[in-house]
This record gives sequence, C-alpha cells and structure tokens, in this order.
Amino acid sequence: MIPFSGLLTAARTMAYYSRRQEITANNLANINTAGFKADRLVAHSLADYPNPVPVEATDLRQGALRMTGRPLDLGLEGSGFLVTETPGGERLTRGGSLKLDGAGQLTTSDGFPVLGSQGIIVLTGSTIQIAPDGTVISDGHAVDRLRIVTPEPGTALLKEGSGRFVAAGATDTTDTKVRQGQLEDANLDSIGGMVSLVEIQRAYGASVTVLRTMDGVLGSITNDVARVS
Amino acid sequence: MNPALRTSASGMVAQQRLIDVIANNLANVNTTAFKRSRATFEDVLYETLQGESLVNYQSNESVAPVQIGKGTRVANVLRFHQQGTLQETGRPLDIAIEGEGFFQVQRPDGTSGYTRDGSFTLSNTGALVTGAGYLVQPGVTIPPDAVDITISASGIIAVRSGDNATATVEVGRIELARFANPTGLESLGENLYRETVASGQPMTGQPQEGGFGRVVQGNLEGSNVEIVIEMTDMIAAQRAYEINAKAIRASDDMMQSTNDLVR
Repeated sequence: MIPFSGLLTAARTMAYYSRRQEITANNLANINTAGFKADRLVAHSLADYPNPVPVEATDLRQGALRMTGRPLDLGLEGSGFLVTETPGGERLTRGGSLKLDGAGQLTTSDGFPVLGSQGIIVLTGSTIQIAPDGTVISDGHAVDRLRIVTPEPGTALLKEGSGRFVAAGATDTTDTKVRQGQLEDANLDSIGGMVSLVEIQRAYGASVTVLRTMDGVLGSITNDVARVS
Repeated sequence: MNPALRTSASGMVAQQRLIDVIANNLANVNTTAFKRSRATFEDVLYETLQGESLVNYQSNESVAPVQIGKGTRVANVLRFHQQGTLQETGRPLDIAIEGEGFFQVQRPDGTSGYTRDGSFTLSNTGALVTGAGYLVQPGVTIPPDAVDITISASGIIAVRSGDNATATVEVGRIELARFANPTGLESLGENLYRETVASGQPMTGQPQEGGFGRVVQGNLEGSNVEIVIEMTDMIAAQRAYEINAKAIRASDDMMQSTNDLVR
C-alpha cells in the first residue's frame, strides 16, 4: 500500500489549496466592505501528529481610515470593537455605517442596536457628535458612551457575517479611538491578493503534476514490472 | 464546483451595484436638492468547516476553527442628507432650506410627500405648487393682483396687492417637516420622498424654530454630489471588479488542471 500514500498526500495538498482559494476569493470579494478583516489559512505542523493541520486566523490588523463626512460613519482606531445586540446575544463589530431607526435608536447598518454603557442609545436631537473616547453628544448634551471592548486574549473570534464577530468573552478597553465621519477600509490590499492568487494557482498546479507523476510511476509498476518480454 | 467561483461572482455583483449608485449620483449632479447615496457592503454567512478542536491531549494544543466566507452583498444604500450649496436664482418663488427640514406637498393620491426642492410656481388659482404641480402643504394662495412676494427667513409669505399697494399683507407661512432618520425616507423620484417605518413620523414646525433650518428666497439648493469623491469611488469599484474577475479565472484554471488529470 505504500505507493498510494504519495497520491493521498498530493490530493490533500490540492484540497488545502482549494480551501485557500475559497478564503482568498472571499477576502477579495470583500475588498470594498468597511471594517472587513481578512482571513488567512496556514498549514500548522504539530508535534507527534503526522500531517500538517490547516489553521485559519483572522487578521485583526487595522485597516486604513477613509473620510466620508457622514456623521454616523464610525471608524475605529485601535484594537477595540463596538458592541451590538442581536437576538443571538451580544456581538462585536468594527463600526461602519451606523444609522438611526424610526424610534431614533442607533443601530448597525442591518438594524441591530449598538450598545452604550447604559444600553441602547436613543438619539432624537438634530445634531450628533461622537467624541474619540466614544461619548455620544446630541444637541450639546452627552447622551451615553459607546461600549468599546476587546476580546479575551487567546480565545477564538468567530465570524458571523454582516461584519459581526462572536467572542467567548470581552473586556472594556480605553485604548481605541472612535473617528466620526470616517470608515475603516478592509485590511487587505489588491497586490497581496493578486500574489496569493498566483501562488495558490501555481502550488495547486504543482500538486497536480506530482499526482500525475505518481500515477505514471504506479502505472509502470502495475503494468510493466511484471511483464516478461 | 469550486465554491470560490460564486464567492468571487458576489464580489463582482457588489461592485456593479456600487457603480450603479455612483452613475446615478453623477447623473444627478445638477439636480436641485439631490442627495447623493452610497452603497455599503457586508460579508455574508460563514461556513464553519471544523470547530475549534483539541489536537494534542498531552500539551493541550488546540487549533482555531476553520471558517469559509461566502462573499459579500450590498448591506445598504445610504443617502447622505448633507446640505447642498445654495445657488442664487433671483426668482421670487425659488426657496431653499438652509438647515434641517423638508417642504410638505400633497401627492395626487392624497398622501404627503416631502421635498427640499423649493422651485415653486403658482397654479391657475394662485395656489403655491411644486414644479411638478403638487400642492404645497399647508396651502398658500397668492391673490391674483399681488405685485411683490417676499418670504422671510422664518417662512412668512407676504405680498403687496390691490389698492393698498404700499402695505404688505401676510398670506401664509411655510411649514417644514423633519424626521428622526431622514436616511430612512423612501425616494419617489421627482425629488420627492415618502415617510417609512424607518424614517419615523414627521415632526412639523416653522422655519428657524425648534431645530428647523431657515428658508432663503431667491435661491435653490444644489445637489450635494462631489464629483471627485464619485470618481475615486468609481476607480476603487472598477479595480475591485477586476480583481474578482481574476479570482474567477484562477479558480477556473484550478478546476481545469484537475479535470486534465484523467485523460
């Protein structure tokens, strides 16, 4: 059975690169999504474990802030997250284009309330200012302060879609600045994306060649070795 | 089928939508009181292929979950209700709002519409109507023999008319409406908006009172489209579209070489 293990290794490598291609495609599809954090898939070797394990990590580096001038566009500078309340519980988000609903509640772009230190924030005034420390000022009065948290170190941050993250635990932080009228770009660049595409495609092609060579060797063994001419 | 193909296609569709919105903004660069919009995107559902798992009991080593995203979609098309610049026209029935508020008009089906386009005219009975002929609410009628119409910053409409051509007579007052969330208003075309559940109920009041802006006679509000912003957004959209097309080709090539394995 030994010759077949090479085939399996090549097939596993191909599966790994197709998965990376899926992740790269998703990163590139979200290149214009505000607050998007790119994912990376790396092969992780473990002690006394025969095959490398694919490990995915979300790259939480800061994206570039871009001026928009819209008062409810919030970009975060630092490692913190805003907190939003969904039917499934509290979720973390990197800001983005917030809006008010008909009752004046501050919500994310898909309509879930953004939480302040006193809960849901209701704004009915005609002007809205948000200070870098997250204080929400409406018509000159401080209404509330946005809750800004960081996930517990070492815990996995799951993505839920719509820019939301599920954290196992989170603590309040003060090292993050809220920038009003700005949006955070996705933290990937198109050059890196192109390089990944080429790299994946070539590595995949190489695995295909390995598989074909293995097949040729196996073909020789099964068909030619035992032949007496 | 490689799921990356659909993921990249969603990226191309999203950029196409962005271009659609930009094209509409640019088409309306000279439309009175036009408010520009912007498409915003969000990532969509993630498929969790393998949860966080413990791989080595001795050293308590675990690996993070593997999640594969399925692309992007348009989250919202948000309208920017920033003030447009005022353009002087000198026409007495051109009225601009500087600050918050909308004029209220009656639509043909009896419901209310809201607009910031104050290029009003008079109907054959002397009623104040919009350029499209909808009655301005509350109704104002200008007497047929009026010779001079003045509209103050607080919206009071006064005319000089008849035998008493030296004294001005107040004939009505402009009333404005505002909303908790003007972005939630629905665009109807013809520069009109309609209230929705998202916008909240209209709150009416007089200009220069309770947070309302002032009205400026002889001026019209220009659109708030900034061509430079639209152009840079267009470049970003175009490049993002291209790279998603490249990702589709890369996925296709990978599938091709897999198919070539067996000949």
